[in-house]
Amino acid sequence: MTVAEAPPVLTASGLKVAYPTPSSTVVAIDGLDLTIRQREVVGLVGDASSGKSTAALALMGVVRPPGRILAGSVQFDGRDLLRCKEEELRRIRGRDIGIIVQNPRGSLNPMLRIGKQIGNVYRAHNHATPLEARERAVDMLRMVGINDPNRRVKAFAHELSGGMAQRALIAMALSSEPRLLIADEPTSGLDVTIQAQFLDQMWETVQRTHSAILLISQDLGIIANYCDRVLVLHDRQIVEDAPARDFFARPAHPYSQSILRLQQQAAGEQAERRGQRAGLAAEAREALVEVDRLTKQFPIRGTDKVVQAVDNVSFAIGRGETVGLVGESGSGKTTIGRCLLRLEEPTAGEIRYRGQPISGIAQHHLRRFRSKLQIVFQDPYDSLNPRWTIGRILREPLDLHTTLSTKAKRDRARDLLDMVGLDPNALDVRPRGLGAGAMQRLNIARALATDPEFIVLDEPTSVLAPSAVVGLIELLRKLQQDLHLSYLFISHDLTTVQYLCHRVAVMYLGQMVELGTVDQVFESPRHPYSKALLASHLFPDPTRRRVDRHERETLTGEIPSPVDLPRGCYLFGRCPHAMETCADAPQVLEPQSDGRLVRCWRATADQIGDVA
Amino acid sequence: MVAASESMDRPRRRIDWLFIVGAGIVSLAVFLALFGPVLAPYDPTVATGSYAVPPPPLSDWPRLFWGSVTGGLEQPPHWFGTDASGLDVFSRVISAPRIDLTIALAANGISLFLGVLLGLAAGYYKHWWTEVMMRASDVLQSFPVFISAMILVALAGRSMTNIVIALALLYTPIYIRLTRSEVLSQKVRGYVEAARAIGNSETVIAFRHVLPNSLAPALIQASVTIGFAILLTAGLSFVGAGVRPPAPEWGLMISTGANQVILGEWWPSVFPGIAISITVFGFAVLGNALERRYDGG
Repeated sequence: MTVAEAPPVLTASGLKVAYPTPSSTVVAIDGLDLTIRQREVVGLVGDASSGKSTAALALMGVVRPPGRILAGSVQFDGRDLLRCKEEELRRIRGRDIGIIVQNPRGSLNPMLRIGKQIGNVYRAHNHATPLEARERAVDMLRMVGINDPNRRVKAFAHELSGGMAQRALIAMALSSEPRLLIADEPTSGLDVTIQAQFLDQMWETVQRTHSAILLISQDLGIIANYCDRVLVLHDRQIVEDAPARDFFARPAHPYSQSILRLQQQAAGEQAERRGQRAGLAAEAREALVEVDRLTKQFPIRGTDKVVQAVDNVSFAIGRGETVGLVGESGSGKTTIGRCLLRLEEPTAGEIRYRGQPISGIAQHHLRRFRSKLQIVFQDPYDSLNPRWTIGRILREPLDLHTTLSTKAKRDRARDLLDMVGLDPNALDVRPRGLGAGAMQRLNIARALATDPEFIVLDEPTSVLAPSAVVGLIELLRKLQQDLHLSYLFISHDLTTVQYLCHRVAVMYLGQMVELGTVDQVFESPRHPYSKALLASHLFPDPTRRRVDRHERETLTGEIPSPVDLPRGCYLFGRCPHAMETCADAPQVLEPQSDGRLVRCWRATADQIGDVA
Repeated sequence: MVAASESMDRPRRRIDWLFIVGAGIVSLAVFLALFGPVLAPYDPTVATGSYAVPPPPLSDWPRLFWGSVTGGLEQPPHWFGTDASGLDVFSRVISAPRIDLTIALAANGISLFLGVLLGLAAGYYKHWWTEVMMRASDVLQSFPVFISAMILVALAGRSMTNIVIALALLYTPIYIRLTRSEVLSQKVRGYVEAARAIGNSETVIAFRHVLPNSLAPALIQASVTIGFAILLTAGLSFVGAGVRPPAPEWGLMISTGANQVILGEWWPSVFPGIAISITVFGFAVLGNALERRYDGG
């Protein structure tokens, strides 16, 4: 690529942003230098609270009160944005620099139709009649891939799905064809298949309009797949600036190395783990937890309809095994995890722990069962009682399940903290000041307090910063080896699933569509949905960029409502391989020759080739 | 954005003047409730023999003050004058908190206790009887508080106990509602699920986890409500549905003094009025400061 020689669009140097507090001044950005060239996609990576968003806003001369830009310059179009008058800045923002922020729906005005909003932005910077602006809005919506734009311009924000609202925002940001687009975590909160569609659209649109993008993200997959160059923000400064391929192949700064460690190890250990998995497959015959035809329906109040959250799911988890449960939100993953813990009562079906059905366990035996089966929740902040100290949090399960003396409990709590890599002397501290990663470790410590055999991990890494994810996944693996634990790992991040799991089940609309070993599913998915899910997943590997691939396994349309489910195959209508008969014929899970289960008659009949 | 908010969360040690003023006034009121009758120069319920004496002019105050400290006066001065029945207004004003505050605190204590418990039950356990209770408390809340209190006291009889019961009954629905809504938002939090997964019983979860995390709104409201309870107690006395004379009580003093205001005897009514204003203001300000502190994290 020749982007390196292209003239710069924006150059920032020595940028310093600080937030004054009554006692001191907190410097959020200290001496930031960066250059963005024409037609270049630049990724900005960094932990939460590393100042990424502050930096992005400061590039436009904006800072959230009471912050101040203390020093530096931002050269854009021959001007220093930090010394421009406010009116001049207003003309530049929106016309020459567009911005897309997190939380798409919150950024749209709920009172205005989206066509009007896009038109208003366009008219703020261009001479146009309302009618022309409206036409422009329709064109922009069409360009960002919204079906039936003539109808959608009349929609209000609440009538759009999250993915569509996000696209409306990009249409707004691009309506004046800005030369630079700043996208701040544009896909946080979107499902993977929607995320991929959206990023493709943004990438293509920007290529077509010759803009440059500053893409801020914590997700290395996004960075690897869409960016030409990567900037790493750490400790209030840019610590690394490298072309994407170089960055992923040879990260220079220690922080970059730490966040890429997982990928590099995963590649190196692939061979070793394959042998290990084979050994485990033999041992895994002894099932610890069995899920047998589990069904869970949630009745909708005021109607006789039900939400089919989990539909006839069966699988087993052996001792020391990790089974991954992947799928988009609403696929029933979490409900299965909650049923396993009896936090939810199944509508039908049975769950057995060591051969004994758990629904039959009486209330007073339930306690013993609870000590052996544990769960770690998605949101680490939310799952800790905010008023309790770390010591009290860890003592609670010990009070319930052991008869140790007070001193022995404290010792045990210290051991637990040590086991998860936290400071054992922090027992009297409240967890409020800890970061998300440390809090999640504390949650794991609490789950381990009663010597469980099986832990449900319900998206434990989804809110963590990249460096914390690596540490947590390594910890989970180490604990599994040391304590011979079994995990049910629920996640939508396929990178972590690949690293941690032995077998993986793909869920779609409450049904399991494919169950096989990680190698089988990741390397040659057979079910059309698994294929699409894997194709939409952005692996942090710049040599396999999604934008460079030509043929794509993509699904069209949106997930059907779990209330009115299709009669035949649930994927009918979105599946590129669908045939007439799929509309009426419900699909069944069929064992394949290689031992995996797939719910698709065409895959079973070998009519769908391996396009992985 | 994240960086910004996190850096702003650093502990701010700013002097909160509102809090200091509120806490000061409240402490003074409590102090007087404990020691007011002891400190009073005259018995607040016994006539002195000098009727409708106006308060001494301000220029005499230093002399009188010095005299009362050194004991050079033949009888203690009537700082706020005496009323038409010959009762010393100053002694009555500083003795009144014992009644007013006792009624307000007792009524609030009872309603806080009941309201929090019932609110916890209503929020945590959804049951037909909790729904009935919520509707009943809606009905109770829809009457004007003052009228309800008057009717209740009139039916039960004018005694301190009955006033306390009436006020407690009227304030309980406020606490039920506040606690219930907080419980509803707390009971779906992750730490509650986690407590359940560890093997706690529902009762333990409700009391040990949910309750302490749901108390703050009710406690903040309590400070404001105590102020209003004092006002309501005084109001009841004013219309003759409160404590019986000659008990020292601000509302009663205003009421008995009101007849003479037209004759130019303003002091028996104005001083207790000022006392009520300051006290209610103190509790309201304290509640405000507590609320801000709580909302600020």
